[in-house]
Formats: sequence, C-alpha cells, structure tokens
Amino acid sequence: MLTKFETKSNRVKGLSFHPRRPWILASLHSGVIQLWDYRMGSLIDRFDEHDGPVRGVHFHRSQPLFVSGGDDYKIKVWNYKTRRCLFTLLGHLDYIRTVQFHQEYPWIVSASDDQTIRIWNWQSRTCISVLTGHNHYVMCASFHVKEDLVVSASLDQTVRVWDISALRKKTVSPAEDLLRLTQMNSDLFGGGDAVVKYVLEGHDRGVNWASFHPSLPLIVSGADDRQVKLWRMNDTKAWEVDTLRGHVNNVSCVMFHARQDIIVSNSEDKTIRIWDMSKRSGVHTFRREHDRFWILSGHPEMNLLAAGHDSGMIVFKLERERPAYTVSGGVLYYVKERHLRTYDFATGKDNPLIAIRRPGSTGMNQAPRTMSYNPAENAVLLCSDVDNGSYELYVISKDSIGKNDTQEAKKGSGSSAVFVARNRFAVLDKAHNLIVVRNLRNELSKKVDAPAPTVDAIFYAGTGTLLCRSDDKVILFDIQQKSILGEINSPQVKYVVWSQDMEAVALVSKHSIVMATKKLALKCSVHETIRIKSAAWDETGVFIYTTLNHIKYCLPNGDSGTIMTLDVPIYITRVSGDKVYCLDRDGKVRTITIDTTEFTFKLALIQKRYDRVLEMIRSSQLCGQAIISYLQQKGFPEVALHFVKDERTRFNLAIECGNIEVAVVSAKEIDEKDYWYRLGVEALRQGNHEIVEYAYQRTKNFERLSFLYLITGNLEKLSKMLKIAEMRNDVMGCFHNALYLGDVEERVKLLEKSGHLPLAYAAAKVHGLDEVAERLATELGDKLPQIPKLETSKLLLPPSPILRDNNWPLLLISKGFFEGAFAEPGVVDQEEENAPDAWGDELVIPSGDAQAGAGEAEDLEEAGRAGPGPEGEEEGGWELEDLELPPEVVQSQASAQSSFFAGITPGAPVTQVWTQRSSLAGDHVAAGAFDSAMRLLNRQLGIKNFAPLQAVFCDLHLASQSSLGGFRPVESLTYGLERNWSDSSPPNVRNGPALIYKLPALEDRAKQAYKATTEGKFSEALRLFLSILHTVPVIVVDSRKEVDDVKDLIGKSKEYVLALKMELKRKDLKDEPVRQAELAAYFTHCDIQPSHIRLGLQSAMGVAYRCNNFNTAAQLARRLLDMNPSQAGIAKAKQVLQACERNPRDENRMNYDGRNPFVVCGATFTPIYAGSRSVSCPYCAARFVPEVAGQICSVCDLAVVDADASGLVCSATQSR
Amino acid sequence: MALFFVKNNFFLGAYQEAINAAGKLKGLSDQEAAERDYFVYRSYISCGLYQIVIDEIKSSTSALEAVRLLATYFLGEKESAKSSLKDLLADPLVASNNDVLLIAGIIHAHEQDYNEALKYTHAGETLELCALNIHMYLKLNRPERAEQQLKVMQRIDEDHTLTQLANAWVNLALGGSKIQEASYIFQELSEKYSWTVPLMNGRAVCHMHMGQFDDAEQLLLDALLKDNKDADTLANLIVCCLHLGKSTTRHMSQLKSLQPDHPTIQRQVAAETMFQQALQAMG
Repeated sequence: MLTKFETKSNRVKGLSFHPRRPWILASLHSGVIQLWDYRMGSLIDRFDEHDGPVRGVHFHRSQPLFVSGGDDYKIKVWNYKTRRCLFTLLGHLDYIRTVQFHQEYPWIVSASDDQTIRIWNWQSRTCISVLTGHNHYVMCASFHVKEDLVVSASLDQTVRVWDISALRKKTVSPAEDLLRLTQMNSDLFGGGDAVVKYVLEGHDRGVNWASFHPSLPLIVSGADDRQVKLWRMNDTKAWEVDTLRGHVNNVSCVMFHARQDIIVSNSEDKTIRIWDMSKRSGVHTFRREHDRFWILSGHPEMNLLAAGHDSGMIVFKLERERPAYTVSGGVLYYVKERHLRTYDFATGKDNPLIAIRRPGSTGMNQAPRTMSYNPAENAVLLCSDVDNGSYELYVISKDSIGKNDTQEAKKGSGSSAVFVARNRFAVLDKAHNLIVVRNLRNELSKKVDAPAPTVDAIFYAGTGTLLCRSDDKVILFDIQQKSILGEINSPQVKYVVWSQDMEAVALVSKHSIVMATKKLALKCSVHETIRIKSAAWDETGVFIYTTLNHIKYCLPNGDSGTIMTLDVPIYITRVSGDKVYCLDRDGKVRTITIDTTEFTFKLALIQKRYDRVLEMIRSSQLCGQAIISYLQQKGFPEVALHFVKDERTRFNLAIECGNIEVAVVSAKEIDEKDYWYRLGVEALRQGNHEIVEYAYQRTKNFERLSFLYLITGNLEKLSKMLKIAEMRNDVMGCFHNALYLGDVEERVKLLEKSGHLPLAYAAAKVHGLDEVAERLATELGDKLPQIPKLETSKLLLPPSPILRDNNWPLLLISKGFFEGAFAEPGVVDQEEENAPDAWGDELVIPSGDAQAGAGEAEDLEEAGRAGPGPEGEEEGGWELEDLELPPEVVQSQASAQSSFFAGITPGAPVTQVWTQRSSLAGDHVAAGAFDSAMRLLNRQLGIKNFAPLQAVFCDLHLASQSSLGGFRPVESLTYGLERNWSDSSPPNVRNGPALIYKLPALEDRAKQAYKATTEGKFSEALRLFLSILHTVPVIVVDSRKEVDDVKDLIGKSKEYVLALKMELKRKDLKDEPVRQAELAAYFTHCDIQPSHIRLGLQSAMGVAYRCNNFNTAAQLARRLLDMNPSQAGIAKAKQVLQACERNPRDENRMNYDGRNPFVVCGATFTPIYAGSRSVSCPYCAARFVPEVAGQICSVCDLAVVDADASGLVCSATQSR
Repeated sequence: MALFFVKNNFFLGAYQEAINAAGKLKGLSDQEAAERDYFVYRSYISCGLYQIVIDEIKSSTSALEAVRLLATYFLGEKESAKSSLKDLLADPLVASNNDVLLIAGIIHAHEQDYNEALKYTHAGETLELCALNIHMYLKLNRPERAEQQLKVMQRIDEDHTLTQLANAWVNLALGGSKIQEASYIFQELSEKYSWTVPLMNGRAVCHMHMGQFDDAEQLLLDALLKDNKDADTLANLIVCCLHLGKSTTRHMSQLKSLQPDHPTIQRQVAAETMFQQALQAMG
C-alpha cells in the first residue's frame, strides 16, 4: 500500500472523491464534513450544519454539488463553490446511513435506519420513491453504474437488489408526472416503481455493505459475520458464489477494485484486506494499530482508494503505476504487463522484446521498479521489491526477440542493481552494506564495502562508477579503486538523470532537484511543492521535468518555469526539440509537443547567444509582461526595450540602459513634463548637453536653460534667454541672465526699471559707469548710498569654456549587439525615418547654422508664447532672430530635404573594437593603435627601442583592411580583415584582425636561417634570425601550445643571434688570435643545433690550435668526437688530439673554462659562469653582465636589459 | 525598361558597355533620352573622360547640368562646381530632383563630408540615393543604419542589381556568415551578367575575409588583366601579398601613381606618421 495522504480527525464515516479535482470529502462522526486537497495536503473547506454524525457523503459527477446524510435524519445538498447548503430533503424517520447521486438522472438514493431506501429528485427536491422491504436498519444503498438497479444491505442479514426501471420510464416520459403524485401513497406500500428483484440470503449476521461490480453481474457484500461474500446474478436469479473469510471482526465496507481483479474490504478488526477475485483468496492485509476501519471509497477515474477509520482517513494506492523504463541509444526499453518492450524514438515503432515473469501473482507491488540496460550485451536488469528486493537478469539473444515464451531469468537478491561495465553489474546488499559485482552469468566477481554505512540505493554513474544514496547525501563511488570521487547533499534521491553527454546529473527527490556536474559539484537546485515524477535533459542542456500536474523546465542557472499543465501524471523518457516522449500510467508511449520558446529564449540569453535571442525576438515568438520583467530583472533592459510598444515603458527602459536616442523618441511621443525632466537628468549624466538643452526647452525650464548656456559658454543663446526673460517680464530671470552674461549696463537698467534705485546706483558706481551713476545720484538725491571702497575688486565675467562648439565629445560607444541588430523593424526606426528630426537639427549642426537657428527660433517662439508678454513684443523677438541668420544659410534652408536632416554621428570603427577587445600587441598594431601597442610591448616585454619594428608595424597595419568600390566614385569602402572566419559565425561578432605574420611562416624562416648558418652565410642567417625576433612581438596565436612554440622560437633565435654575432665579431678580429679563440670556444656553448655545434667545434679547435692553446684544442677535439662528427671531422679531430696530447698545455691564457658551465654575455661576449651575477633581457632572455643593465639589449635590439616586464602575451587564451 | 542594360552595366562598373548599349537604343521618349544621357555622361565621368561631358552638355535639364558640374568638379574646379551646384539647388523645383540631389551627394561624399552629403540624400527615394546612403553609412561605421537603408531598397526592388550590390557591401561590414552571402551575391551577379572588375574585386574581398588569400590573389590578378588601372584591385592585391608574404613594392607604386588618395595609401602614409608620433609619445 502506498499512502498518498493521511488526515487526523474524528472518526470518518463517509468518503467521496471528486471525479476530476484532487479533492476528497470526509464526513465525520462529529457532524463536520471536510473537503481536502489530497495532492497539496491541505484542508480546503469544512461544512458544519449537520447535527450529529454524518455517515454518508457523495460528490455529483458534473455539477459543483455534493450530498450528505446524517443522524439528524436530514439529507443536505451543498454547492461547494458557493460553500453553502442549497436545501435539505426531509422524509427519513431515522439515521441516514448512505447517500448517493445517480450517474445520469437528478436522483439521490438514501439508506436509513427507518428500514427504507428512498430515491429523491434533487431538482424538484421531492422524494420520488420509497423502497420498503428490509425489516431492519438499511446500512447502505447504491445505484448500479449503468443498469436500473439498486443494491442495498441491511442488518436483517439480507442483501437486496431492486429494479427501478419503472421509475426511470416514468421520469423519462414526463406526461406521467402527474400520475406519479397520485400514486405516491400506493408506492409507500410497495407500489410498482421499484420492486425487489433479488433477496440475497447467506450472511448470518447483519450485512453492513454491498456493492455492484462496475461491469460484471457481480455483487460483493460484507457483514457482521466477519465474512465477505461474492454473489453473481443473471436475468432471473442471483446466487452466492463464494465466501472470503479472514476478517476477525465486523466487515464494515467492501468493494470491487475498478481496475484490477481484486476486492478490497475493511473491517472493525483494524485491517484492510485485498482479495484476489479469481482465486478468491486474501492477497494482502494492511493493519492499523488502533483504528477500526469504517468506510472505503474508490476514485471514479484514477487508481486511488480512500479508507476512513477511528481517527482520520488515508488516501492510498495499492500498486505503483510508474513503469520500469530506461533509455539507451535512441530506444526506450520499458515494462508493460508481462513484456519488456522497446520503442524506437526515431521511427516510433513499439515492439515487444521478450516476455518476463508475470508480476503481482503473489502479492502487491511485485512489478519491476527500475531497469538497467546494457547495450553491449543486450542485457536487461530488472529490480523489484519481491522478497525485500531482488533483481532479474535477462540476456536477450537475437532469436528470442518477439517470442512470447517467458525467458528464464537469472535472479538474485539485492535492493538495487545496475550495470557498471560491459559485462559487469553491481548489486547493493543492504543487509551487509556491500556492493556486489557480478558478471553476466550472474557469477560473483567481487565484493566491495559500500562507501558509507547507510547506503540504501545505487544508481548508474558511467562505467565503473556508481552513485550511492546514503541518508541525505549521494556519493560518487569508483568501484575499481574503491574510492569516493565526490559527494553532494540532497534530500532522499529517488531518480538520477544524466544529461546526454554525461557531463551533468540531476538528482531528483520527491520535492527537489539537485543539479550537479559529473564530479558532483553543485550547480543549482530547485524545490517543488508538488511531487516530482520524472525528468530528462534535452539536447541543449535544459532539464525538463514533470510534477504530478505540470511539465516544467529548469535552466543550467537554476531558473525554472512551467511549460504546460497535465491532466494526469506522465513519466518523461526523452526530450528532443519540442517533443517530449513519455509513458503514461497505462504504460503507453505518448508524445507531447511543448512550447519551447520561453526556455530556449532564456537559455540563449544566459549563454549570451544574442544572435539566437535576436532571431526569436524578430520572429516575435514571445512577448508579454513576464518576459519583460525577466529581462529587466536579469539585467537586459536593452533587450527588453525591443519588446515594448508602450512608450512609457520604453522610455523607462531606455533611461535604464542609457539609450538616449530611444529615450528622446519616446519622450517626444509622451511629451510630458516629468519625462522631459528625466530625459534631461540622464542626458546631463552622460554629458550630452544638447539633449539636455532640448529637454529644458521642452519643459520651459528657463533657469536651468540659462545655467546650461552659461556652463557651455553659449553666450548667444544666453542673450536670447535674456530677451525671453524680458518678454516674460521675469525681472529676476533677466537679472540672472545679465549676470551670467556679465552685462553690467543691462543689470543697472533692470535695477533701475524695477525701482531699486540705490542698488542700481551702487551697481553703476562700482562698475565705473559714471554717467549713469551721476544720473542716478541726482535722481536719488539725499538717499545716496555710501559705496565702500574695495581695493581688490574686479568684474566677474562668465568664464569662456574651452570647448564651445556643438556637443561635448561623447564617448564612442560601440553599439551593443541588440542596438545595432534591432535597428530595422522597431518603432524607433520608423520614427527616425519618417519624422523630420526637429531635435536632431538642434544637436548636430553648429548653432550659427540655419537649421539650428530655425529650430531655435521655433523653440523660442514657443517659449515666448508661454510668457505673458504682449503679442507685439513677441513679434519683435522674432525679427531679431531673423536678422541673425547668415544670408547664405537662409538659402540652403530653402532646399527642402537638407533642413530636415539630422546628421549622423560616426560609429566605432572596427579597429576600435579590435583594440578594445584585445591586449595583444599584434591586434593593436593591425588596428593602427601604435601608441597603445608600444605601451603594451613596453609593459609586457620591456621593449624600448621600437625603431626595428617600424616595417613590421606598418605592414601589419597596411594589411589590416580590404577595400571595395561601393558607390563609385565615392571613396572606396574599407573592411577590417578578421582572422578565424567560419561560415557559422554570426554577423557582427568581431574576431580580431587577421594578421600577416603567422607562426608557421616564422618557423619556416627559422629553417632558412639554419640552412644559411650551415652554409656559412652568417650575415644572412643573422638577418633572418633578427627578423624573427623583430616580428615575434606582434605575433598572435590561438592556443597555449602555440604560445610555448613562440617562446621556444624566441629562445632559439636568441641563441643563434648571439652565436652568429660572436662568429662575425671573431672574423673581424684579425689581430687578436686569443680573443678569436675565446669567441670560437664560446660559440660551441650556445644552445644551437648539434650540427652547428659540430661545425663550431671544428673551427674553434682549429683556432685554438693555431694560437698554440693545445689543451683547449684537445678539449674541443674530444667534445667533437663525442658528437658523432663526419668521417672527415673524426679524422681531423683525431689528428688534432694526437698533436695536442704531445704538448697538453695552453701557450696563451684564455678566459675560457670548458668544464665550468657558463652563458655568454650578449654585450661583452664574455662568459658568465654559473653562480656569478647576471641580468637578462626581458624579451629575448639573453644574459648580460650586471653593468649592462638599463641598456638596450644588444641581441634583440629591442628591450631594455633588466627592465620590469610582465612577459610575452601573444594569445587570447593567455588572458582567459 | 529600354534603359535596363545601360543602367545595369553602369551599376556593375562596365562603363564602356553602358555607353555602347546606349548607342544602340532607338525611339526613346524625351524623358528616356534625358535619363539615358544622365547615365551615359556619368559613365564617361567614371571613365575619366570629363572634357567630353563638359563639351557635350549644353543648356539642358537640371540633372544633366548637375552631371556637367560633376565633370568640372573632377576636372579640378571643385569650389566653382560646388557653388554652381548650390545655385542650381536654390531653385525649389531642382531641390527636389533626385538626380541632382544624387550628384550633390556624390560631390560631398567625395569630399568625405558625409553629413553634408546626407543632407541631400538621406531621404533616399531612389535606389541610387539609397545605395549612396549605404555607402556613406558604412563609411561612418554605422552598419545598422546601412541595414535599415538596405531594407528600404529591398522594398523598392529586391532583385535589382544595385540592391544586390548594396546588400553585399552591408554583408561584408557585418562579417561572419554574411561574408559567405556576400560572396554568393558577387558570384550570382557575375553568372547573371558577366565578370566585371568590381565584381571580381568584390569576390576577392570575400575570399580575403574568409582567409583564402591564395584564391583572392588569383582573382585579383585576373581582374588586373582586365583593367590594370583599378585602384581597389591594386589595393587588395597589396594586402593579399602582405598576407602571403610576397613583395608589394610594384603594386604599391602603381597604386600610388594611380590614386594617391586611396584609403590603402592613406593607411600606409598614416602608419608611418603614427609610428613616429608613437615613438615620440614613448619618449
């Protein structure tokens, strides 16, 4: 028995399932009726109007109604939507035991202790029939599902079957309605409407319950004689078939199971018993400790039962409905009834594979629970609960496929079993806490202690490993090494679902999903209130799962949501694209098409695959407030922008992502003060003062406008503001503007005009306007104020800004993916295309220009109208404006189009994108950003002398762009050449420039140089190696390995440059044989190719010999002999050796000790022996004596010796 | 329709063919004749035969007058041509003549004063105006505006040669998979009509963007056989040679003498000054 829900309450006497919703009614001995949601486990409602115990309760099939009957003799009909009792049917004269709606007719049948059964019409609210005959309490009465029959059980020890076909006929033909009323009385005494068809005698105590089989002519009854009896009937008679004995106290209720051939009974002996109908024997007994059972009820549609007892009720299932299944290589393997079947997802073919043991023959829940499939050997492991856990192993041979005979299985005990290798499977032995590994012949191969003491289940985790469940954690266990590879906490895991690439795993428990990597590192977890039933990963890494009533998704970042609602639970087997394959509870394979839009969109967003996002937005597969708020919440307001049509929301989003262009368009649409104000604030923040100006103009915010003109130094407009203020009679405004302009006369005039004569006088006097001051003094007469003498006063004039034309320079923003990509169909663009951009005129064209003048004039005109000034003055203002216009621009204004054009700010060139994205010197050089490239090289490699790099720099930059004619004869279009092009890369994604210097080419050059060295063309070789060293700083490679190759190349080139330089120097020194001998000897200690060392040794040997340093020559000769020289070489070396050994000493002192390891200083060409101090070049790593520090490296001729540098960076992978 | 071959050849850069096709036309209406002349004289200009244009165009429509001004402009009388054009446009009737506006746009675009040029052309009611706008938007690094303008062209006539070409220009700017599409466009046009030097050059540019410099070089060398005076071909050849590690000196001097203000030359000159500046900045 699988308990799904349990309640604690008073004694439950009546139960009824809702036919569709997950609800159950329980009527209690206390008189209360409870309405429960057994799926959520919550009490929805309680109905408390009966007086005394309520014994019967029943939901109507289709109406929102239920009926109840109680010990208060009342039958009540309730509407659960309005939550009230609609009416009460009165008539019974004693306790009412059961009530039931008819399936079809508006009838209720009730059984009562008054020894009658009554049938009521709940529409007319009358009793339409009284069935008399029982001569004791009638304990139960119920309609047959299809036929016109009623079965009743009574304490008179009989079960009666009543024929009500006459009643039905009467109601069906309404003409007889009138008759019925008159017949009422005669009915009371056993009239013709309902007649007893059979009286079933056999129980020898009172019968408590009797019920029909839903489809067969069978009746089952239970009585105080502790027996359950099975009856059969035909058209003419009914007889007892069998008696089921087992209960040890009164049987209170009994019924046929709707789906299986079993009978379920319960009893006051505190048990529920399950009987096999064909074998007529007890199959199972569920016992409760203290509670006597009183009532049973079955769900009309689903495989659910409920039982009421002394202290509550339980909702339960007898058997699991989840079929055992597994998916392998595009094929679903599942168990249905007694067959293992396959379903091919590609072809949709469903075939039985083999017959397996018949489940459920000996008890409940014996069917396989889990399955493990081994594709290599075509073997299947089925685990079931038989004998407290056992497994069966079927090896499917080709010829047995499709045959119906049951395969002989290899069996064993163990609670779970899974394949762990091609020919091995692991079984958990819980009792001994062992994991047993067996082969396909079911022979023991080894035993391993479980990784934790409480492991109670194992799951597949790839070859050789297992996931072991122990308490609230899961352990990844390697069986071969017997080691724990990882563990993770998760509530009791029920299923483990691996992604298709086995990189991610989902641990599914009853109410939660924990997602982890294959090493069990937690990725995210999801909690569900409703039970989770099944799950699968789709190809894109989205996790699709089902709860009892939903299909849901979960993204890698833990975002989850609902895809669709389910009527019945399903078990997902596989998800592919928008197809969900699943098994339903009948074991049928179903395919459900789901709407993947939401989660693919979110996934694309998370994975930053904006091209996909864009595509989805363009095809407008989604919309709605939810997605907008999701985008906003996740920090993609610029994406959200493109979903929104509502201007206010657009405006808000645009402000949020700082998209002034869109904000302006929206503000124009909305045209409300508040929006202009906010636009102004944002524009001010961005420093886009022309938009600020525009916003202030629209809101007529004169003070702010004046101040803006002041700080942007636009004195012309400031004086216009002064005039506007005059027009508006705004004295204070005038004064402000005059102050800003530094116009003293105007200020004095204003003060005078407004009657502040002393102030006017003071102002005039202070500023030295003596004439005016005198005039005012005479006017003032005695009231002449004293002006204090100030020594250091000076006239404050508005500072003139440095930059006063157009807008302030704005940062060039490379357009985000969306801004660029959206630029065609959206609302904005329509606007831009169609509307003459009045505001745009203001922005781009300098203020002296006609367009600006015109636009300005309009705005000022508007401003003027707003002011209180008389009409005439306004006109005056206009004339002034016109005069200011330069004549030639007036003309161009006449040309229609030009005056409407907005002007376009150039976008970011591709070269800028390159430099922004990269810290590789090569990229910067190609983009022409030589200064930043040099800074990078200086920082990374300590390069200071850039002169040798000039050609490389120039060529690289020159080769960075292609050119195309375009619209001739306008200058050709140029396009940045980018590297790593692929057909599949989306547009507008920048890869960085294609560079002309590539590692393979440099390596080829090195080979040439080796060849030149071998041939003795030392200057040629030196030139080549130096050119390599002078190219490497701008090289860019793709992988880490190549970075190492580059470093290797630098090292080799450096050694050769050093060696070759010494060799060339040696040739120059004709007169210093000892120094020559030294240099020749040093040459042989450079890290160069063996063949070159051999050549070096030969020549060094000769030089040393010639200056009579025989010991050294001998040393060199021996080294030469060790190096497998040519025949000629051997001969010569032996010769020298012979000659030297006669006189093994050096005539001249040489700074050379061949046995003491050393490197050669690149500048002085002297040995730096191991242990002595040296400095090195940060780029080529050549070593130098300490005195050289700070000079340009004489080997590579680029970097400063001993300078700080961070090291070579030549691949984007290095910074990742 | 009668003018199709004239215009199409003109757009494909086959100017001599355009002139030849015009010569074969007979029985044109006045309006058609004017349109034919408009393209014929522009073809002459594209061939560098300015004097012919100036000599032949005598008092006629404002569109042809504008073409004549274009020729004088290219002959070197830049300022006078510009002011004459401005005078011409002062007449409101002329100011709405798309043909004249186009010439005004071309002149200002040629001076790289794109915003000034766009003032005349941005309304873009004809395919030519749109195409010029696209060119300028791309020059201004505003590919999204170019795409928008392309949509307009596609609404007017999606299959038009000029629309196709403009599409390729935009595709090249967008990069990625669009390069392949651009390549197909050039290929298709050449199969439909014939391989003209601009088409070959376009195809070669696609190859370059796909990293196939060998193929590009071959195409460019073929193009050079057809027309050894095509600046873009030379410019791209220089870039190809650099990528292939070949010498560029000959192509460079050729290009320098042919079009000293070509963007590639500009880039080369700029590189040297920038290098010196950067050296100084590094101290």
